Amino acid sequence: MNEGFLQEQKTLEGDLNSENSHQNSVDFLMNWFRKRSIFVLAYGTGCGAIEMPPTFTSRYDAERLGIRGAATPRQADVIIVSGYCSYKTLRRIIRTYEQMSNPKYVLALGSCTVNGGMYWDSYNTIKKLEDYMPVDMYVNGCMPRPESILEGFIQLQKDIGEGKASSWQKYEENYEFYRKNQEAVLGEKVAPSYEADWYLYDGGL
Amino acid sequence: MLSAIKNQFATDDIIVKRSDLYKVSVVKERVFELIKFIGNNYKYKTLNAITCTDWIEEEHFTLTYIITTLDRKNTFMVQTMINRNDAHINSLVKEFAQAEIMERDLHEMYGIDFVGNENLKELSLENWVHTPPLRREFDTLEFVNEHLTFREGRDDNLDVKVEMKRIRAEKKAAKELAKKLAEESKDGE
Repeated sequence: MNEGFLQEQKTLEGDLNSENSHQNSVDFLMNWFRKRSIFVLAYGTGCGAIEMPPTFTSRYDAERLGIRGAATPRQADVIIVSGYCSYKTLRRIIRTYEQMSNPKYVLALGSCTVNGGMYWDSYNTIKKLEDYMPVDMYVNGCMPRPESILEGFIQLQKDIGEGKASSWQKYEENYEFYRKNQEAVLGEKVAPSYEADWYLYDGGL
Repeated sequence: MLSAIKNQFATDDIIVKRSDLYKVSVVKERVFELIKFIGNNYKYKTLNAITCTDWIEEEHFTLTYIITTLDRKNTFMVQTMINRNDAHINSLVKEFAQAEIMERDLHEMYGIDFVGNENLKELSLENWVHTPPLRREFDTLEFVNEHLTFREGRDDNLDVKVEMKRIRAEKKAAKELAKKLAEESKDGE
């Protein structure tokens, strides 16, 4: 049930974002810090990832808002699901998401994550991301321009500051629901098996 | 070259599509012999692709081996038919190592068994237990409706076609009215 969660962290931060959290000055301060330092996992999961380099580099310069890249899931606060999500990618996204430490937020880009987009009748692409993992902010468009992505980030910062962005708690509380949906499309082995990777075949390539 | 192939492989199905593009159809058993023949005698040495077409009405698959010369200027398409209910053919891995991944792809998408290819494992679909998706009896929409949930539309969602018709009719009416008024004012003067 608690697969992928860090128990210690859960104990330490369990009561953050509770009903009274916005009244607590420490939490207010914590949220303020969090919204000013968002580390985004450098992981492109679909075609929308092409809009991320301009967002983070000098032209649009997301770093002026405190948004910058992180190399590994364990150091990241935000995962961007950028575009269509095939079963194979979904497996990796779920694994990555569960590796991230709390508090963590999900930003979903593009119409594909909203309703399947142009892949609405594809046999191998999920249609609603929020069935499989919680989503804090959707940015629609095909693809959303860097301006839209920044706007999504600013809205997310606002939500973090107000303590509204609490999808990670939702994931913990409704884990059975998400797990059931994940198993429905991915089978019982939701996490990818590394033995199936091409470079581990007998004799390699 | 074409007459030699015609004599040796007893096939009339030779099409010259362009001066640098030929297509020859042979029976399943003689495909590899033909590929070796053009490779040894006419420098067709590189396997570019293996493609498959599903002819569900005639109950067969058409496999096409696309082979080019080393300078990439000439292309040769060797075509053969296999029964789609018992789809199997010998593997080309021993002759061309790159055939392995192409055959793996066809195995996954059409369920064709390539005898002799030991690496027919899953490629892009993981844990797929249904009909291979590129076979024509696989109904994508039915599969999607059965296995995935769609987002429900908004309550105030309107039918685009009906709305467009309504807007067009309104515009037309407004235009006619303006015209009528203009004419009336003209008459009045």
